Amino acid sequence: MYSRIKDILVGQFEVDESAVSLDANLYDELQIDSIDAVDLLVQLKEITGKKIPPEVFKEVRTIRDVLSALTNL
Amino acid sequence: MKYMDLALRFVGTSLLWFSFGFVGLIISVLVFPLLYLFVRGPGARQIAARKIIAWGFGAFMWSGCRMGVFTVRVTGMEHRNPEGGQLILANHPTLIDVVLLLSILPQVDCVIKEAVIRNPFMRASVTTANYVSNREPEDLLSSGVERLETGASLLLFPEGTRTARGQPPQFKLGAAEVALRARAQILPVVIDCTPQFLAKGDPWYSIPPSRPHFAVKVLPAVAVEQLVPGGLDERHSRYELNAALQSLFESELS
Repeated sequence: MYSRIKDILVGQFEVDESAVSLDANLYDELQIDSIDAVDLLVQLKEITGKKIPPEVFKEVRTIRDVLSALTNL
Repeated sequence: MKYMDLALRFVGTSLLWFSFGFVGLIISVLVFPLLYLFVRGPGARQIAARKIIAWGFGAFMWSGCRMGVFTVRVTGMEHRNPEGGQLILANHPTLIDVVLLLSILPQVDCVIKEAVIRNPFMRASVTTANYVSNREPEDLLSSGVERLETGASLLLFPEGTRTARGQPPQFKLGAAEVALRARAQILPVVIDCTPQFLAKGDPWYSIPPSRPHFAVKVLPAVAVEQLVPGGLDERHSRYELNAALQSLFESELS
């Protein structure tokens, strides 16, 4: 799952591959914006078939947060 | 004299809020059930519901002016396309901006808070009026675009919430993204309320030192292409459009 997310970040949001880590802050360090984040949410839903509720996604800051949100569903 | 003026405006404001609740209740329990009985089909009901809302909000604004709680002046209404298809973007200085704008722009689509949909007094009217819910960010973007593409006009407050006290408006990227995806014409509406009234954090009963005046300025409609250079990628386009819109509003408000 981590590598799928990394692929989306690098492939679509032009994030520098070397900057991506489990604990990198998506917004501050990887500089994705709120629209990208929504886009990521939609793609995660398509991949996993599970939907992270918006109020949970709002609190997400790192890929680790995304993964734990997905496993907590 | 000054205290008299304050006291009168306090009474006026209280009366205004009381009637807002009371009329809202009457509309929910009496008018909407009748509407369901006599108006058939969701399309016709949507039009009727929006007429009722525009009428109620118009009555609110009219009463507020008559009781001397505030004054309103609207200019530039000729820029609005009554046929629809415009993305109407407004800054959000006060609690009653949506009341004011829906009273002068009936039949437009707008986004409402999930909390309003769950409010028993408002649920019937806002769901019949078929406004867009803000619960799911992804749906918000796509339904906004969809409404514009089907020819409706959509009202958005790009700040997403009321302006922070004493600050220039800070726009979020969502409105720019909707404009870019729908390639819609943008109708900027600048609301200036002086002195500050019902701003973020103000309770409903806080009465400003003098009677607040709403200057609502509808600017000429602009195409997205006039505000962002072509050839940018999606992310840069929305940043550029957002920055252009924000500076347009800032220069109008300063």
